[in-house]
Amino acid sequence: MKRIFACLMTIAVLSAGAFVNNASGQNLPSANSRASAGAAAAAPLKLSLPLKDGSVRFLVIGDTGTGSEKQHQLADVMTRYREIFPYEFVLMMGDNMYGGEKAQDFKNKFENVYKRLHDDKVKFYATLGNHDESNQRFYELFNMNGEEYYRFKKGNIAFYSLNSNYMDQKQIKWLEEQLAKDDSEWKIAFFHHPPYSSGGKHGSSLGLREIVEPIFLKYGVNAVFAGHEHFYERLKPQKGIYYFISGAGGKLRSGDVKDNSPLTEKAFDKDMSFMLLEIAGDELHFQVISRTAETVDSGVLTKQKRQSAASAK
Amino acid sequence: MKQEMKTRTVLATGAALALCLTFGALPTEARVGLAPQQQAARRGVSPRYMRAIATFDSRVRDYVAMREGLEEKMPTLAKDSTPEQIEAHKTAFQGAVRAARNGAKRGDIFTPVFAEYIRSIIRSAYRGRELQELRQTVMEAETKGVALRVNYPYPESNELVEMPPALLLKLPQLPKQVKYRFVGRNMLLVDRENGLIIDYMLKALP
Repeated sequence: MKRIFACLMTIAVLSAGAFVNNASGQNLPSANSRASAGAAAAAPLKLSLPLKDGSVRFLVIGDTGTGSEKQHQLADVMTRYREIFPYEFVLMMGDNMYGGEKAQDFKNKFENVYKRLHDDKVKFYATLGNHDESNQRFYELFNMNGEEYYRFKKGNIAFYSLNSNYMDQKQIKWLEEQLAKDDSEWKIAFFHHPPYSSGGKHGSSLGLREIVEPIFLKYGVNAVFAGHEHFYERLKPQKGIYYFISGAGGKLRSGDVKDNSPLTEKAFDKDMSFMLLEIAGDELHFQVISRTAETVDSGVLTKQKRQSAASAK
Repeated sequence: MKQEMKTRTVLATGAALALCLTFGALPTEARVGLAPQQQAARRGVSPRYMRAIATFDSRVRDYVAMREGLEEKMPTLAKDSTPEQIEAHKTAFQGAVRAARNGAKRGDIFTPVFAEYIRSIIRSAYRGRELQELRQTVMEAETKGVALRVNYPYPESNELVEMPPALLLKLPQLPKQVKYRFVGRNMLLVDRENGLIIDYMLKALP
């Protein structure tokens, strides 16, 4: 009996040792758990992206802001992938900061996690999730330019970061105005709440879809990225638009994707993940990587032929 | 004061006309820039509610003018701020507004008649399945533990409920500094920068 008790105590002590708490109560990885993270990150990397000359290369990740050990492990894989796929920037799908936004939280849940990418001058472009305060728009490393919704361009691709928490008349007007004069080859929108989703907990954001989808169709938005659901999902194209969910960058809702959902083309809810993307000419190449560096989805999508209201002018 | 009111009315009317012409392609509800009273007038709102909407609009604008005045005296928060600067600004801004609004209480902005108007909007816009979906969206959010106290901060560790876009198009428009939020069935007015609960009304959702 004493032996069993001693065994149980040893296991408990070892488990507790996997994390150390800092002053703010944040779980930080201990040396032991960092070693296991290193083991996961040591898995061989495979690349199925073409690395074409002049292509735009970026990474998509969502719902990151925990500062957890697993977020660190995923960040390690992201960093290693940059050695074979030199992406220039990262799109963040919101929920950048869970459970508090003191200065130390920005460091624990973001800066320290992606430190090597920051050191390499990889730019992060954030959008606001339902756990994010509006003041994040002033944070230099989120590159939001002081705005809750904004647009930026890379090559001939226009990116629209929207605030899906608060899609009011001002934002709708801004979006329509911007898209109406946008003649970019690709138009990509990213925001937190997914218009289409096979998630059991949340599911599709129908109210948001009702408002934004007609605008996307009218002005020829090609692809939409969202988070909120803590898994990866590639939706079947909806009315010709490509939809992705990448919301397992810091949290995982294991087993949440509904079986046999008619919306799903491919889904992964067994582990945390991020997306690698390369846009070259009329092709959007993607590869989805898990925390253990496995490729869980990949493929290529061709730019839609439909005409937008802007290009029709 | 009268002159100021007159100027404000002229500006609002001019802006409304210009925007009607500019955004004629948008759905009626989405036409931007109409003052809350003008929005309401289009919907055939009763004179009693019209007066309540005008009072609400005026008090919101007074709040915004006050908080803008206070923020102007503080160091500007640049678009490339550090976390320390963001936190310091928020804390100082909260302190200044809380001191200036000492004694503010529930109902100062959400007057009883205006609250009744909000309930009537939601009741008429959401029925059956749509109301169920709205309730689900609002209730599934992690807002338990948010204390409803005027002039106190909305806790930053709590989730902010996604505001249903169709409802936002029906509610009186707010200046960008102020936002509607749900906590359970209750509706709040929250300052987007300092996070203070400016006012709240109970049982907005049926």
